Formats: sequence, C-alpha cells, structure tokens
Amino acid sequence: MKRQWGMVIDLDRCTGCEACVVACHAENNLATVGRDGAARGRTMHWMRVERYWEGEFPEVRLRFQPVLCQQCGDAPCESVCPVYATYHNPEGLNAQVYNRCIGTRYCGNACPYNARVFNFFNPVWDKPLDLQLNPDVSVRSVGIMEKCTFCIQRIKQVEIRSQESKQPIADGEIQPACVQSCPANAMVFGDLDDPKSKVSQLARSNRATRLLREVGAQPNVIYLRSVS
Amino acid sequence: MALSKVRTNLGVVLVVAVVIATLASCSSDKAKQAGHPSYVTSGQFTTAHPNMSDTLKDYFDVYPTHVQQPIAFTHKMHLEHGMQCTDCHKGVAEGPDATIPNVQLCMTCHQVIATDKPEIKKVAAYQKEGEEIPWRRVNWFYQSAHVKFYHSPHIRAGIDCAACHGDMRQETTAVRKAGLDMGFCLNCHKKYKAPTDCMTCHY
Repeated sequence: MKRQWGMVIDLDRCTGCEACVVACHAENNLATVGRDGAARGRTMHWMRVERYWEGEFPEVRLRFQPVLCQQCGDAPCESVCPVYATYHNPEGLNAQVYNRCIGTRYCGNACPYNARVFNFFNPVWDKPLDLQLNPDVSVRSVGIMEKCTFCIQRIKQVEIRSQESKQPIADGEIQPACVQSCPANAMVFGDLDDPKSKVSQLARSNRATRLLREVGAQPNVIYLRSVS
Repeated sequence: MALSKVRTNLGVVLVVAVVIATLASCSSDKAKQAGHPSYVTSGQFTTAHPNMSDTLKDYFDVYPTHVQQPIAFTHKMHLEHGMQCTDCHKGVAEGPDATIPNVQLCMTCHQVIATDKPEIKKVAAYQKEGEEIPWRRVNWFYQSAHVKFYHSPHIRAGIDCAACHGDMRQETTAVRKAGLDMGFCLNCHKKYKAPTDCMTCHY
C-alpha cells in the first residue's frame, strides 16, 4: 500500500517546552557537543524550537515554532548529493543513507530549513550514558550528515507488527518520539494519502500553512496557525 | 597475475592507512595539548573502529568465522535428538533478535540429562554462580554497516534458518557461514520480491 508520511504541527497549541527536542535526542542517539561546540553552531539537534516575539511592549506575544526536517516532496538536499546518500524513499521520506555519505555537506547548505546536521566529531557519551543508547538506531560517526528520519525505526516496527498480525496500520499507531512526548498534543503524525487520517484532515484546515512555501520544496510538515 | 595485483592494491591501502593513522594520532595529541574540551576527540580511532586492524577488517569484509566459545556447545547433538531451533532461540519469530537462551533454560533439561559430562558441569557451575554464560557473537555487522536486521519478517516469509546460518546439524558451535554482505541480502530480497529500499535495513 502506498503511503505518504506527513506531520501536522499546531502552533496555537505549542508551548515551547522542548520536550520534543529532548525526546528526539534520547530516541535517535543524538550527540551533545557541549557549550563550546554549540557556540560554533555544531549542535546536533534533529529538531529545534524557534522563538518569535510578536507585537510591541506591553502588547507582546511569544510564539514558538518547532522546526524539523520537512521531508520535502521536491527536496533541495537530494539533487545536490554527489553520492546519492540522500534520496526519496517510496513512502515520501527524505532518507539519508549513512553508509554512502562522504560528508561534502552540500545537502546541509542546500536545505532551506537548516534541518541537517553534520558530525564534526565522533560522538562521545560519558559513562554510563553510553548504555542508554537506543539499539534500534545506528550510532553515526565523524564525517556523516544526519537528519530527522520521522523515527523510521518506529515506522518499521509498527509495519512489521502489522504484517505479523495481518491488521492494517491504524491511524495514530505510529508515533515519532517528538509526537509521543508532546504534552500539548500539538503534533500529529500519519498518512497524508489517506483522506480519513487525522493528519490529512488537519492538513485541510484553513489554518494550514507550510514553512517557506515560496522555496517550492513541497514540505510534508504542515503548520497550523491562526492569523491574528 | 590477478593475485599479485590484489597484493599490490592491499599494500597501497596498508601504506595509506598507516599514514592516515599516524596523522590522526598526531592531530589528536595536538588537540589534547591545545586544551580542547573532551568532546573534540574520543580517544579512540573512530566510533566504528577502535583500532586500525579493525578498520582494515571492516574494509575488506573480514569477519571471524570460527569463534571460541566458553562452552563447546554442540548444535549437532541437540538437533539430532529432535530439538528445533526455536526451542532455544525463542525470540526469532517475534522480534529483531533470535535471542540466546539464558543458563536457566539450559539447566531445565540438564538438571537431569548428561550431568556427568564436563561441558555440562561448566554450565551447572555458571548457574550455581548466578552468572550467564558469556557467549560470544558469531553473526554480527560492523557498526559502520549501519544495518538493522530483524529476524521475525524473515521467519514469517518462510526463509529457512539454514539460508543464512548454514546447516547446523553438521556444526558444533555456531560458525559464520554466509558472507552476509549486501550482495547476499539483496540477491535474496530480489528473488522473493522483498523491499530493496535502502531504509528497509539502513537507519
């Protein structure tokens, strides 16, 4: 069955708590780079929460926007990779093959959303933190570009389970770590090709918008935002 | 002729590798002297390879075929006595790992069977100490392969264990039979029309 994975993020619900960022780090074995590394812009977040102030004092409003890989339909990162390490998979995911990556970082430069991160060093976890690495996700080494996978390991697990039980994958059964951890239920993940799924219903909302639409990358992450 | 060419290539790679290793060790020394924070260098060669010899083994797909196990477990004898693979490797149909049985499962039978054999006495000693048998892995991938293998879909598809693990009725301790490289996997995936998308295994 053909699927098109997508995500809806309701910015009116987001409280900017960054639980999604923490969950992503834990789930995907993301390295931390320390204060010095962060100051040089070498942080390894697969997602970040951007902060915007709106209005003039005292009428100020704080808005948050979680930004992750938008899994673009027409991804600028894919066409620039000289070794086809980044490609489009049949389920609409913008995939990164670590084995192929030679670290040119062209994809990171081409990405309009700054969603790709580069391993400047071999990741190090102080003991005993190395024991909490997720065995379902490979640990990347120096010189490799990496990015949000929509938690492909979770998608695969549910797919395998559904094949075993011969039950179709229910809407909302697959939850990436960020979606699962969101206390405000601001994020919804699902199949955009299924018109009945929650994610495609929300995507048809009149609040729906996409990040940097003018770039024309056709992102599969849809933001909901009321225009005030 | 072909052999000598391979040897020449091997030699070139070795020389290059040694040069790189020397440079790498020099630069990490410099980093330490310059007082960089600890995250800059992990003190190991790479995350994937602790040393140069492992790197070369990985590059040339060299895996140890025969692994010295703490107990000379004989698959042959167990299978001859009518046991099935799944009697001990219980997780194979349900998850990623086939699972290696714990010492309790061994002792369920060996409490009474063949208790006088020296190898069984070793097992009993492990149980008495409350320790698990430190089996060593036979089938595995280098970390740089970035492969996530799931047993259960293969079992469900009716792939015989022997397709990858060889005929265990002939073996004592497990040996690495198949090359288990990507060509081996893809040949079978194409034959059975299984997905060949990269993200099926590499993530």
